[in-house]
Amino acid sequence: MPKHEFSVEMTCEGCSNAVTRVLNKLGGVQFEIDLPNKKVCIDSEHSVDTLLATLKKTGKDASYLGEK
Amino acid sequence: MGPSVEARSIVVSVEGMTCNSCVQTIEQHIGKINGIHSIKVSLEGKNATIIYDPRLHTPESLQAVVGDMGFDATLADSVP
Repeated sequence: MPKHEFSVEMTCEGCSNAVTRVLNKLGGVQFEIDLPNKKVCIDSEHSVDTLLATLKKTGKDASYLGEK
Repeated sequence: MGPSVEARSIVVSVEGMTCNSCVQTIEQHIGKINGIHSIKVSLEGKNATIIYDPRLHTPESLQAVVGDMGFDATLADSVP
């Protein structure tokens, strides 16, 4: 499965928890959150657009960094 | 205010906010939604006071909006 790396403007644990929740709601994802570097690495069959839209639901700025 | 302006207010308990940036994100995000007149989020009180247009929103839909952002939202029971 492709691994996608995203940059998400997270500043605290509340932010990263919010990201965790929306991703879990989407389902079918495995991910790691790197809070200090504001990065989320997602392992999923979902399209990049779907993942990005999900991340943006939190209201934070998110952008796609590329495959890893 | 004209007779066509309708506003109702509710308080939604929000769990999971830990800092001011969470508060700001919620205020900015929800404040942009059509039919929301104003929103005030309290970090200490762990809640959000939302003034909204009842023709466009229900307490449940507002709860869902906050929930979609990744926070635990529950409706305070004391609101009529």
